[in-house]
Amino acid sequence: MGLNEANIGQEVVFERIEQNTELELKLSSLGLLPGDQLIVTGKAPFKGPISVKHGNQTFFAIRFTEAKSILVSSRGLS
Amino acid sequence: MKPAEESKLKVLLIGMPNAGKSTLFNLITAGNRKVSNYSGITVDSAVGEFQQNENYLEKYELVDLPGIYNLNPSSQDEAVAIGSLVGLFNQENYHKVILLVDWHRLEASLSLCMAVNELIPGRVITIINKDDDNEVGPEVRKTIEKHLSNPVLSLSALKADAQLFEKTLRDFLHYEPRDEKELKGKISLTQEALQYFPHIDIEGAKENGFFNIVSGHDVLGAKINENLKEVRAVLEEVKRPDGNLSSRSEKIDKVILNPYLGGLIFVGIFYLIFSSIYTWAAPLMDFTEGLVLSFGELFAPILPEGALKSLVIDGIIGGVGGVVVFLPQIMILFFLLSLLEQSGYISRAAVITDRLMSIFGLGGKAFLPYMSGFACAIPGIMAARTIPNQRERLATIMTLPLITCSARLPVYILLIGTFIPSKTILGIFNSQALAFFFLYFLGSIFALVMAKLLRLTFFKGKTSSFIIDLPHYQGPSLKIAMRQSWSKGKSFLKKAGTIILGLSILIWFLSSYPKIDEEKLTGLPKQQRTALILENSALGTMGKVIEPVIKPLGMNWKIGVGLLISFGARELFVSALGTIYALGDVDETSSTLKERLLSEVDPKTGSPILDLATVWAILIFFVFSLQCTSTIAVIKKETNSWKIAAASFFYMLGLAYGMSLITYNIVRWL
Repeated sequence: MGLNEANIGQEVVFERIEQNTELELKLSSLGLLPGDQLIVTGKAPFKGPISVKHGNQTFFAIRFTEAKSILVSSRGLS
Repeated sequence: MKPAEESKLKVLLIGMPNAGKSTLFNLITAGNRKVSNYSGITVDSAVGEFQQNENYLEKYELVDLPGIYNLNPSSQDEAVAIGSLVGLFNQENYHKVILLVDWHRLEASLSLCMAVNELIPGRVITIINKDDDNEVGPEVRKTIEKHLSNPVLSLSALKADAQLFEKTLRDFLHYEPRDEKELKGKISLTQEALQYFPHIDIEGAKENGFFNIVSGHDVLGAKINENLKEVRAVLEEVKRPDGNLSSRSEKIDKVILNPYLGGLIFVGIFYLIFSSIYTWAAPLMDFTEGLVLSFGELFAPILPEGALKSLVIDGIIGGVGGVVVFLPQIMILFFLLSLLEQSGYISRAAVITDRLMSIFGLGGKAFLPYMSGFACAIPGIMAARTIPNQRERLATIMTLPLITCSARLPVYILLIGTFIPSKTILGIFNSQALAFFFLYFLGSIFALVMAKLLRLTFFKGKTSSFIIDLPHYQGPSLKIAMRQSWSKGKSFLKKAGTIILGLSILIWFLSSYPKIDEEKLTGLPKQQRTALILENSALGTMGKVIEPVIKPLGMNWKIGVGLLISFGARELFVSALGTIYALGDVDETSSTLKERLLSEVDPKTGSPILDLATVWAILIFFVFSLQCTSTIAVIKKETNSWKIAAASFFYMLGLAYGMSLITYNIVRWL
């Protein structure tokens, strides 16, 4: 599923990026690798940006439409 | 270049956004460079000398560069930092690079370190910025040092002892394991990244071997991933930061980024800031006003009657003094903005506003420049370099001057404090503070509306992507905020002492000369005599010429002249009125501009000349009009186009006139 579908507080595992390669570069530069744990910490209303905690240390936010192309799996299922 | 400057060794400071570069820069150079914790504040490189240069043989200077995530720029400010590494921006002869690493983002930062190390081996010093001394032990530094094969230091940029740290740093700057000074690698980047290097000869740079153009982002991404994996393997042996800070941030974010509360908190914070400028400053302002008054009382008896006395009392004390009394507001504004910036909230505000901004064709990235615009449009316009999409960037630049900057403060406070009755509304809100907040709000909303119009017409296109890293919340340092506030206060006073002083003297001359025939004045009561002298002056004549244009706005020639003069700088409106009203004041007792404005009545009707409708018309004019020559110059510089600078000026002028006209008629009708 896309990161946008995860609920607030849900732990997911980052799988890969769909299509958008510039996004991939940006995420790698933020230190994100496939297999990493993400927790959705906030979702702005009206499909606004989604805030995410990466691993145990860092936080970032990404626009809803871009979060769609971040493919994740629910924890335990992958 | 002066020989003295040549002998200084340049040290470049790079790192990821929010790593603490500006704090470190301030520590080393004792400069008052703006410190904040959102990406985009360091938009142009700043240079500062090492604090203790005089005590050492080697003289160093530090160049603070914009934050980068990797070596493939995705905006103009990133390109400045990356280009500097390969000597594209006259930094060819730099000595070393300090790469500042945030302890809480160790992995990503070290992978950037590896990339920079490959480019300029032997010239990098890595400094880990931590929160307290216990965090990074020597074994951690050793492990990283071994892997990167460059020196690794650690410090807390906020708490470190400047003198001690500089001494250590100097040892390492001195230390030169290899004597290679030339570039080793090429910067690999995509074709589209080249657009962010403005004003450089791209073809030349390619030929000189600075750039290696790769086919796609995936090539670069693969390299970064590889570095990242390597770093992770190395760091496995190392004690990592505990999760305390991040779990605290997570808890705060639960409230701040809450879908329902987030927006309310956002409005609340900004209301608090702008209303505190208004309410806190009141007692301080009484004090500065009293100071200015007693200054006048001090000089009045000493000076002989005549032109000199009038120049000092009416021209200088009336003009400059009228502006200087607003020092407390300016300092409070910058103090509060600095606290907010340091706290880590600004990035969250960008997240909260992104959805709203996207309705207007902008993204959350435009929030940061807009936010700087509350202080001054100039850094805001420069901060727009962080917006990757060129059309979105232009729309931001052209609308940014609508954001209420600190130069409008004196005008707003003078007029609101004088003419808007202070009442309590709904039990908690003060009517004057509300009016004040309304003006801020109006400017911001119209900036967005105009941006939308621009994005629908001249600057059509998609908005940039929006990924923003959210730094940990941190308790803001009062010391830094006070320093920031003082430095802005100083430059405000400097402006008052130079530009405003000069122009006040000019205004005094223009409003005192040419002198009217004494014969015409004989037999007239004193009040009419002063009025006639003023009307006959050069300024009075000017005012009469523009009176037909401003009459529909309910303004008299004095206000008109004030408006005309304020096109040089907004504060001049207050100083022009200060001088004009001081000259026109008939009773000899000293009084403030406020009292003089209130006591001016129409001789025929006996009612005050400035009524509420006129006052609102003036205020609204100031909300929309671009009365700032420096801003126009910066727009030209940043967009490289006179057309855009002129268009910005004229559309805002039209808007100001139109809105002012509408306001005047509405308030009169009410």
